[in-house]
Amino acid sequence: MPGLTTATILGAWVAAGLTLFIYSFLYKDNPLFKLGEHLYVGISVGYSVVLVWHTVFLRLLWEPLRKSVSEAPALLESYILLIPAILGVLMLVRFIPRIAWLSRIAFAFVVGFGSGVAIPRTVSALILKQIEDTVNPLITMGANGLSMGLDLASPQSGVNTIILLIGVVSVLFYFFFSVEHTGPGMVTARTGVYFVMIAFGAAFGYTVMSRMSLLIGRFSDLIKFSGAEYGYATLILLAVTVLTLIGWEALVRQKRQEV
Amino acid sequence: MIFLKRQLPLVITFVMGVAFTLQYYIPHPVSEEAITNVSKWMQIISGFALFLGLASLFHVHAVKIKRQVPGWGYSFALYAGMLGMIAVGFWSHGETRVDGAQTGFGWLYDYTMVPLQGTMFSILAFFIASAAYRAFRARSREASVLLASAVIVMMGRVPLGQFLIPWTWDVTQWLLNVLNSAVRRAILIGVSMGAVALSLKIILGIERSYLGGGRDQ
Amino acid sequence: MKEFARRMVGIDRRLIFLLIAGAVLLPLVKPFGLPIKVSPEVKAVYDYIEALPERSVFLLSFDFDPSSKPELEPQAVALLRHAFRKNLRVMGMTHWLTGTGLADGVFSKVAAEMGKERGKDYVFLGWSPGGGSLIISMGQDLYKAFPSDYSKIPTRGMPVLEGVRNLRDVDYMISLAAGSSGIEMWYVFGKDKYRFEMAGGSTGVIAPGLYPFLRSGQINGLIGGLQGAAEYETLITQKGTVTAGMDAQSAAHFVIISLVLLCNVFYFMLREEKGRPS
Repeated sequence: MPGLTTATILGAWVAAGLTLFIYSFLYKDNPLFKLGEHLYVGISVGYSVVLVWHTVFLRLLWEPLRKSVSEAPALLESYILLIPAILGVLMLVRFIPRIAWLSRIAFAFVVGFGSGVAIPRTVSALILKQIEDTVNPLITMGANGLSMGLDLASPQSGVNTIILLIGVVSVLFYFFFSVEHTGPGMVTARTGVYFVMIAFGAAFGYTVMSRMSLLIGRFSDLIKFSGAEYGYATLILLAVTVLTLIGWEALVRQKRQEV
Repeated sequence: MIFLKRQLPLVITFVMGVAFTLQYYIPHPVSEEAITNVSKWMQIISGFALFLGLASLFHVHAVKIKRQVPGWGYSFALYAGMLGMIAVGFWSHGETRVDGAQTGFGWLYDYTMVPLQGTMFSILAFFIASAAYRAFRARSREASVLLASAVIVMMGRVPLGQFLIPWTWDVTQWLLNVLNSAVRRAILIGVSMGAVALSLKIILGIERSYLGGGRDQ
Repeated sequence: MKEFARRMVGIDRRLIFLLIAGAVLLPLVKPFGLPIKVSPEVKAVYDYIEALPERSVFLLSFDFDPSSKPELEPQAVALLRHAFRKNLRVMGMTHWLTGTGLADGVFSKVAAEMGKERGKDYVFLGWSPGGGSLIISMGQDLYKAFPSDYSKIPTRGMPVLEGVRNLRDVDYMISLAAGSSGIEMWYVFGKDKYRFEMAGGSTGVIAPGLYPFLRSGQINGLIGGLQGAAEYETLITQKGTVTAGMDAQSAAHFVIISLVLLCNVFYFMLREEKGRPS
């Protein structure tokens, strides 16, 4: 690898070290893990503060407001961004008990808007569109006349549409607890349960795949940082971590014996 | 005063809720202008809301240090990480890269935040394996169905499984596109109906928990 | 035998951790290179991008953070390589605050590799809060939603955004999502009203929940997890590290399946013993 910079090599050592600190939790909860965990929270919060300041306050509020006011100071419209600024500040007064009630105005504004825009969009996108696809025609008119697709491999075939319809209705019925699940209702609910078990099994399989992928990603980085160009960072830091854990374990046992 | 503290927020929620529900169906320029401006305002207000969460975290750890509860030293590490990141971030003007070159802020992001966040979540892979070994048992018919489905999908979604038992790929595709879709669709419809009902309750003032507790509510 | 089963059921979980670590590590060090089969939902995304005319507007939303980097970054890299190869005008953005640096890094890396110029061939708009409100804002007026890009350059007048006023002018959109602020949100607040075509790339955890959208045509394709990224890499005939990672994935899955089957064998052995009358 052509000339890695000092910053990159140092970064590799820091990254490998922090990764191994977190993985030390697999042995047991220990000071290295706790340090890594607290650093993670602190660094994430610090990053968020910087980005929120630069994006929200400077880019979205200060610069457009300054521009509009400098271009047309007499126009009322130039000051329109003061409205969200005031509402935002009202949100923050939640921390001052005597005037905390003012924050309700800001929350009412935000929640009212959010609820209002959500209703028609949710109905259209998540309810009507989903029902529309569930009640597809089973029999279609083709070149050879009326036909019903029986190919299981094709998701849109007639037989799959029937299975889908049975699945959707039985699962919806299973989760409907206002009616007792007896007689034909019990058969429908039991069918729903089996559909749910299959879906959850698939979800488990995908979750395993996902988590293993995350592990593969981290291990790939650790393998990369174990190379000579990075000064065998992973290997040396792994030895340091193991020795630290052994030392810490010995110290804890000694303290326990003294007690 | 009671009106300002109790009734006014409910009136604002009602007016905003009804206005922006109806806005969806009204293509008039005034209506479009309203949603353009208000959605922009929401971006700004959401940014202020983020500070609420950050301030709360700040407060929790400040109390830990002040009271010197066990483990308070780690709160120092949290503050050190946070303040260090903020200082370097402002020094770099909030940019991770300038003309393709990495800044100090970018270095901290790439070599501390990315590995820490990535590793925190990747550790779950070990626990999922351990939990699967201890708890994933075919105790009943339903559990057996769940187990079979999981095994087929785990085989069918990796090259080795597809190579050794080719039909697992086809069955996985069918399972996902038909059976899984049916269940997810039912759950989606149910949850969406619940969300619409909750939104209506909020707009009509029946649901008031978003205003926060207190004697005034 | 029963004693063995009892001991195996109560085995120290750290041994299982070592087994998983070994299963993942060994194929990464020595890959065995199995072929990747491409699913129809991934091919649909590839075909759509392949059919887009040059200089079409392609919006890629990086709705993930470093915790999902191993699954979604390879998808992003493969999609960007394809888009740049097709000379599309690429717009990037993110809904996830902590993913901003990651997204900028991917853009910089792939653009440099493909000889593309910021402002002319692509723009990274960065992060903005709001979620659904942001999408509505972009759908109404892109320049109000993002007055400047991530590098603080004003967006109005940028050559790459010529003729683009809002989301209606986007030809294709893909959301690479790790959670609820992703594909579903883009459809509900975006495509439903502003009528652009869209697809999704997701982590394995949320992928099964997106199949109803795929079936109904609300998204025209879905790239699921690391497997999806490997399939896309196969289609663009540009092998990345993901294809090697799939060997580790295969090994890990087989270890998990073996563990699950073994645990059931031991469970049934012990259950038989409990069922015998004394």
